Amino acid sequence: MSRWAAYGGAVSIAPAELSRTDIAEDLSVDRPWITLVWNDPVNLMSYVTYVFQTYFGYSREKAERLMLDVHQKGRAVVSNGPREKMEIDTEALQGYGLWATFQKDD
Amino acid sequence: MASGFKRKGHRFVAQLDGAEREVVVELLLQTHAFLAPVHRQTTGDPFDDLVATLGLPALADSEADAAQVPRDPAMERLLPAGHHDDPAMAAEFRRLTQHGLRERKTANLAAAIAAVMAADGDKVRLDQEQAQAMVVALTDVRLLLGERLGLRTDDDADALQDRLESADEDDAAQDDPQLYLAAYYDFMTWLQESLTQALMS
Repeated sequence: MSRWAAYGGAVSIAPAELSRTDIAEDLSVDRPWITLVWNDPVNLMSYVTYVFQTYFGYSREKAERLMLDVHQKGRAVVSNGPREKMEIDTEALQGYGLWATFQKDD
Repeated sequence: MASGFKRKGHRFVAQLDGAEREVVVELLLQTHAFLAPVHRQTTGDPFDDLVATLGLPALADSEADAAQVPRDPAMERLLPAGHHDDPAMAAEFRRLTQHGLRERKTANLAAAIAAVMAADGDKVRLDQEQAQAMVVALTDVRLLLGERLGLRTDDDADALQDRLESADEDDAAQDDPQLYLAAYYDFMTWLQESLTQALMS
């Protein structure tokens, strides 16, 4: 961790066996989509917590727990729901400068 | 002596001298120029150039360009792929979001520049909306600087901090241009941390 408590660590690589979505899966409504935030060495721990509180309206406690997951595990699921909503969340979080992606839950 | 942002009632106030404000504005301007959706001819005067971009509708990037993975790694960090391992989905997401993201980021940066330039003496005063624009703008500046400094992992960030701390005692290191960049990065980090804490207090 840097002097300014930027969260960081080795960048996680998604497992190679992670399944590609196919048309059948796309039509499934049972398995929601998720928004992920990935670890990076620049963003500050405080700022990531601030973004989770400000954008999602999460409590300080929940925002900090998610931030620590990103920091310690390399990534965290920060929201889930329909694909369209996850794309909106991903775009918004990228607007804040976080490294966000969306994908089908697996 | 600089003093970071503190909450004063409904305002966020920092004390930065002329040279410090100049550094902040210059870094914000460079990040603005980097992210602006359209590159216009420059006049040589950064402020005139900025003003020239205000209020003008940005031209849409062609769809083919927008869907391409950006070549500059700093652009890839500022506008990352939206899907980790599905290039087609990532390309579609980029096509749909890239232009809007660039517009919003440059609008934030322009608001931050205007706020610093409107300083009253050495006092930079922000209202809530300006503070929210500034804290995001400082993130984009640091992402750009961080990429130029090769920060990919936590260890890189620690090593940079060590180099900054030992540079004071090492005359040879002071000629290293990367060290100037590192000092700017450190300064922007300090400023952003103070504003984030103030926003959360």
